Amino acid sequence: MNLSIDVLEKDNCSTVRLSGEIDVYTANKLKTRLIPLTEREGTVVEVDFSQVRYMDSTGLGVFIGALKSTKKHSSHLKLTHLNRRVLRLFKITGLNEIMDIEER
Amino acid sequence: MKAIMLDKETYKQLLNQYISTQDEGALYRAERLTRNFIKKNILPEEIIDLHIQVLRETYPTIYEEMVYMCQFLLETMISYGLAIQENETLREKQLAMRTEISLAANIQKTLLSSTLPEVDGLDIGVISVPAKQMNGDYYHFVTGKDGSIGIALADIIGKGIPAALCMSMIKYAMESFPEQLMNPNDILRRLNHVVELNVDSSMFITMIYAKYKNGLLTYASAGHEPGIYYCKETDTFYNLKAKGLVLGVSTDVSYSQYEQELKAGDMIILLTDGVTEYRNGDQFAKRGELLRIIRQSMKLKAQDIVENVYQHFNSLSEYYQQDDFTLIILKKY
Amino acid sequence: MDSQSCVSIQLERDIIYARQIGRQFAEQLQFGLVEIARIAATISEIANNIFLYAEKGQICFQIMEGTGQKGLRIIASDVGPGIKNIEKAMEDGYSTSEGLGAGLPGIKRMMDEFEITSIVGEGTRIKVIKWVRSCDNEG
Repeated sequence: MNLSIDVLEKDNCSTVRLSGEIDVYTANKLKTRLIPLTEREGTVVEVDFSQVRYMDSTGLGVFIGALKSTKKHSSHLKLTHLNRRVLRLFKITGLNEIMDIEER
Repeated sequence: MKAIMLDKETYKQLLNQYISTQDEGALYRAERLTRNFIKKNILPEEIIDLHIQVLRETYPTIYEEMVYMCQFLLETMISYGLAIQENETLREKQLAMRTEISLAANIQKTLLSSTLPEVDGLDIGVISVPAKQMNGDYYHFVTGKDGSIGIALADIIGKGIPAALCMSMIKYAMESFPEQLMNPNDILRRLNHVVELNVDSSMFITMIYAKYKNGLLTYASAGHEPGIYYCKETDTFYNLKAKGLVLGVSTDVSYSQYEQELKAGDMIILLTDGVTEYRNGDQFAKRGELLRIIRQSMKLKAQDIVENVYQHFNSLSEYYQQDDFTLIILKKY
Repeated sequence: MDSQSCVSIQLERDIIYARQIGRQFAEQLQFGLVEIARIAATISEIANNIFLYAEKGQICFQIMEGTGQKGLRIIASDVGPGIKNIEKAMEDGYSTSEGLGAGLPGIKRMMDEFEITSIVGEGTRIKVIKWVRSCDNEG
């Protein structure tokens, strides 16, 4: 169980490429990388899920935390290329209606 | 240091026996002696020191080089000795912590205990098993004066102690509402407010709240794993339709309320994602697997069905329970 | 050999020199092999702390002769950043998990007396004493 996080920062846009599994073991690592990116005003943080095989509810918590941070710092969070399984989690929890999510 | 002197003679004897006969028995007894050393907290460097003493006594003319070799070994063992002592302290600390957690788990069990209500025409079964000692799932039942029952089932994100603390908050928040008089969607709206104010930003709670009265189930969901409705007439399982945001994310959220009529033989299945999100090796379980097991034991009492399901998942060879597991079944008869 | 001596720590080889001096004192006091090795390990630990974290520092040895007992006192003092959280540094598993060696708890285990004072921005002073035990002389 592992997660690799690649961050590409360019002007007002950060792209976060995730690869692996987001679960109770990796969530904290993701949180420490992701949250600071959302703390810069006006920035767009785009998270690419195309290499994410699995995410559990702890992972979902990280994105809720990031969403709250974007509201506080007037930044924007966008999730892209979610697989069906991960997307289901956002749909069940109603988060797809308040988050910017682009399906695969 | 005193203790080691008593064993010195034994060590000397065994060593000499081994040198002259290479006897397995001597090695075996040396092994027993070592255990005794460990029990008395004798460290590796002290055993080497003992070894040097025995060497000098047995071979008074031993080359100094041989003794230097042993001294060299002794010096390198100091760090190992420290590591052993540190491990021992950490082990004791862990033991103390474990005792504390099991005390807390007992308190939680008392908090969680919810007696199953008696309702005419409804058979109820519940099972809730935490993945670790503390449970992040929460359920309770209340009985209204009008003969209705209220059922709350919540899943607090994360496991263990933080989830358990959060659970107590939910419990007391709900007890402060006139729950029997409120609609499921109002209960969720008020709970959302409490959770939003009180929990860490990456924490959230999903909940399904249902009310049952005279064959009608009224429910609302805050991002909870969808419940399941079994229709006897068509012999089919349907997902209980529900939309709603998880608790604790936005300030003002209103929840929709849904209804499902129940006839004799129909069932309602409420669950947390620990039931469907378990992993069997690299495989993820599907809801289909759950429904297959329920179908197999559908004729049984509701309590036996839920226990069957848990037994089934628990007996899978590669299964290990990753998440808290709660399953509630209501059977109309 | 005098009953007191100091070694200043600036380079890694000073650590080795300090161990050497400490070992001579320990031998003079007729400590057993195990205790001598522990004294050397303690010196490594405190000298390393100075070498790694402080600008400069020194380690002083002093033979203690009291009523009926003899021992070796080692004082390490440095001018350096100090330790922000001594409580944390005294916790088991804190420095070992970072691969930094035995750490302060290790020193405390190897010695009979242990005292640390640290002022952030000024420096740290560690005082340890190892007493010669009667049964050490038996061996």
